[in-house]
Parts: sequence; C-alpha cells; structure tokens
Amino acid sequence: MTERELEMYFGPQHMGMVGNFSITLNVEGDRILKAKANPGYLHRGFEKLMELRTWIQNFPLVCRVNVIEPHSMEMVYAMAVEKLAGIKVPSRAEYIRTLTLELSRLASHLFGCWAYANMLGFDTIAQWAMYHRDLVLDLFEDLTGGRVYPIYIWPGGVRRDLPDGFKEKALNTLHEIGGKIPDYDATFFNNRLFYNRAKGIGRISRKEAKNLGGTGQVLRGTGVKFDIRKVDPYSAYDKVDFEIPTREDGDAYSRIWVIRDEMIQSVHIVMQCLEKMPSGKVYNRVPNPFKWKIPKGETYVRVESSRGELGLYMISNGGDKPYRVHFRTPSYPHGLTILEKMLVGESVADVGNIMMSLYVVAPEIDR
Amino acid sequence: MNESLKKKIESDFKTSVEILEKNRWTTTVKKDQVLDVLRFLRNKGFDHLALISCVDWIKEGEFELIYILSSYLAGKERLHLILKTRISRKKPEFETIIPIFENAEPYEREIHELFGINFNGHPRLEHLLLDRDYEIPPFRKDFDTRKYVKETFESIKPVEEEK
Repeated sequence: MTERELEMYFGPQHMGMVGNFSITLNVEGDRILKAKANPGYLHRGFEKLMELRTWIQNFPLVCRVNVIEPHSMEMVYAMAVEKLAGIKVPSRAEYIRTLTLELSRLASHLFGCWAYANMLGFDTIAQWAMYHRDLVLDLFEDLTGGRVYPIYIWPGGVRRDLPDGFKEKALNTLHEIGGKIPDYDATFFNNRLFYNRAKGIGRISRKEAKNLGGTGQVLRGTGVKFDIRKVDPYSAYDKVDFEIPTREDGDAYSRIWVIRDEMIQSVHIVMQCLEKMPSGKVYNRVPNPFKWKIPKGETYVRVESSRGELGLYMISNGGDKPYRVHFRTPSYPHGLTILEKMLVGESVADVGNIMMSLYVVAPEIDR
Repeated sequence: MNESLKKKIESDFKTSVEILEKNRWTTTVKKDQVLDVLRFLRNKGFDHLALISCVDWIKEGEFELIYILSSYLAGKERLHLILKTRISRKKPEFETIIPIFENAEPYEREIHELFGINFNGHPRLEHLLLDRDYEIPPFRKDFDTRKYVKETFESIKPVEEEK
C-alpha cells in the first residue's frame, strides 16, 4: 500500500448499495485501484437444506433463493424434477408458465428500474416503477394467492387455472404500464442527466464478457444475441414471437436500454400467451408426494431469468430427496468476477451506478 | 458435426460419451486428463463454463467434480457437456482451471470452502460465503446440520433468562 492509498468499505450499510452485499475498495483520491466483493451476508445454505427435504417440500424453499424473481427459480426446479421423473406438462400449463415467467420478468425489471432511479436520485421515476410493479404483484395475488412468493409452478404443470376475469385484468394492467413508456423514456431513459451519468460507465468488451461467463444484459449489452428463450427454448417460448434486444457499447447505458426493451417484449409475450392459450387441464397428477421416489439420474436444466442464465444441476440417487442440488445463478459471475474487474479505474461515485447496471441481486449469489 | 466431435472425444481421451438426452452429453474422465480435455473442448467451441459443482459420494469415499460446458457460438448453443472426474476423499486436492476458464475463480473458492477441496495454483483460496473455518466443511455429507443448529443456536439464552 502506498501512502496515498486508502482502504474503504462500500456497503452493506451504504446508500448506493442494493441489498446485503459489500465491496472493499482500495482507492487513491477518487480512483479505485482494487475492488474485492464480499458476498455471504445472505448465505442460508439452501442447497444443503434441500438435500434434507422431499421433492415437494423443496418448493417453498426454492422460490426464496432469488427474492426478486421467484418464478424462474420454481421453473428451473420444476423442470429438473420433471426431467428426472419423466413427467409431461399439459400444453395449457406451458402457456400459463410462460405468462407468469414474463410477468415476473416485467416485475423484476421494474424493480430494477426503481433501484437504479432511486440510487441516482430520480425519485419520481422510482415511485412510478414501484407502483407499476405493484400492479403486476396484484395479478400474481389473483393468480396464485401470493404476492411475492407464489409457489405456483409445480412438477406436472401449475397449481391452479387462471381465475375468472384474469385476462381482462391482465390486459388492463399491461395497457396501463405500456401507456406509461413514453413518460419513462422522456424522464429517465432519454434524460440527458441520466445519459451523462451512465454513458461510458462500467464498460466491458464482448470478448471479456464471454471469458468471464457473462450472460443476460451484460452479454446482450455488448451486442451478442444470446438468450436461452431463443437458443434452447423451454415452456411455450418456441410458440410465441419476440425479439432479443441488444445494444453495442457494453456500458451501463447499453445495459439499461436492453432492460427497457425487454420489458416491452415481455408485454408482447404475455399478450400472445393470453391470446393463444389452449383450453384443457393445467396439471398432470404426480405420485403421492409423501411416497414419491424419483429414479436415479442427473440433469442440468437452464432458463433465462431476468438477469441471465439460471441453471440447476441436480442428482437423484433413487430416493425421496435430491442427493445434490446446485444452482448456477447469473449474478454469481456478474457480481463477483465481472464487478471486481469492472470497478478498477472507475470513480467511487460510480460504484453504485455500476452495480445497479450489472443488475446484481445478492441473495442469488449467496444462496 | 456433433457426431464427429463425440467420436473424437471418445478416441482421443479413451472414454465414452453418454447421451442423457438430446443435446445433453456427459462423460467421465480420469483426473489427470481433465485439463487436457477442457483445453481441447474450449478450442472446439465450448467456450462457456456455466458451472463447476462438487458432489460428495461418501459411500464410495470420493468427491466428484463436475464441469458444465456449453457454447456462445451461434448454432451451437444448445449442446451441453457435463464433464466429470473423481478424486479421493482422503486427499482432496485438484488442479485449478483458471488458466483455461477465467470465471472458474469464484466456483473453485466456493468448493474449497464448502467441501474442503484444495485447488493447487489458485491465487486466492480465501473465504467467500462463510466467515470462519469448520471442522468438517459444511456441505460434506457427514456434516450434521441438526447438531450444528442445536449447538450454535440453542446455546444462546433467551433475554428473559439472562436477567
């Protein structure tokens, strides 16, 4: 350490820090020389706990891994169980799953916009985003009974069918959110103040993003059209029409624009699902959960969560509980390897900015 | 294309590639082959290391390390390869793969912490998620979760009792 170098703690109690996460910075003046990410504040050992619970008992646990977007976690777990046990999912359930996953992506992105706008001091936009997210949560309440933790996607389908009047209510909500996009654009995404703060910050090249395991907005912000919904379709994603938004520059501004465009795509997907949804049953019966044993095997499944590639490696040794569960969460490479690299040479004032644009969610890293 | 790649892996490394389902391959290699296989696969387009995982097979006295690879290249993204190798539970040591895949760093740190496996050549095997060392690393199968909870949390007296 030189004489002018100073060690500084950023988070977990810091205005610019989202959630339970901290960074140790070595700074000289305002410049960052070295950054060290410290996860672990939310380590609850879910993967170990899941080894001690039966296949069905794990559902209320798995949605809690990522607080902001529980549906994708349920989806990836349900997919793994279905693969190992060889359960088929009815076509209507696939559409309902796609619908909830997209609504949840919308809610998660709005939450991300809230956090980003709030951190930069755009309080009005933050309030709008929070309000619109709440409208989506109202839909979840109607659909599943739970606003935040739905426990809705189930092996063999979904827990119950759409309630009466859901379609109209969903369309109303989507129109309300969609109609506000020009306002969001004028006050936030195209705002000169925001542009000046975010442009050129936290830059990453395409090659680097690939080398460091980036997925989601981090990769798409550098111009790579990589989206698991398209390249390895699951659920009903091969039956709906949508685009993969990309930007070229690889900086914070590019990433937030990818997020903005994805929200619009999500609205389109939800509308198509409501339109195209076939009738029929919404789940196939699974064996008695108390006596359910799944044959020996292993599987790796992945979905595109709102942050990137969410994978699950699961082993069954023929018992009533999983033998090993391991989540590949998108924030893990983003919040550890990429963040530490990206912060070097940036100024202290931009740390929160960069973290938000990487869209890191701490519970996902710690698990 | 895929068929020839499968044959090449099988003949070069004297192993067999099992097909779990369409686009999901799995293969087990000896532990001294892993670095060569990974280097070979990386050159063949498997440029995305999605996950490094570890499984404690306590009955066989072995740890299994799992490398899940896929690709960013257009047209090849669907294929997954699960590469597995086994190391002895008595001497939990392995080579780091950071020179081949840079993003292996936190995964290996996590496995070091939760399973107690040493990765030779890893630049920073320090704590990631936990804040102290445990006698038995907590994700091993012989770590007794219930006993740990009893000892850690039931030894803390409620406030009323202390008064």
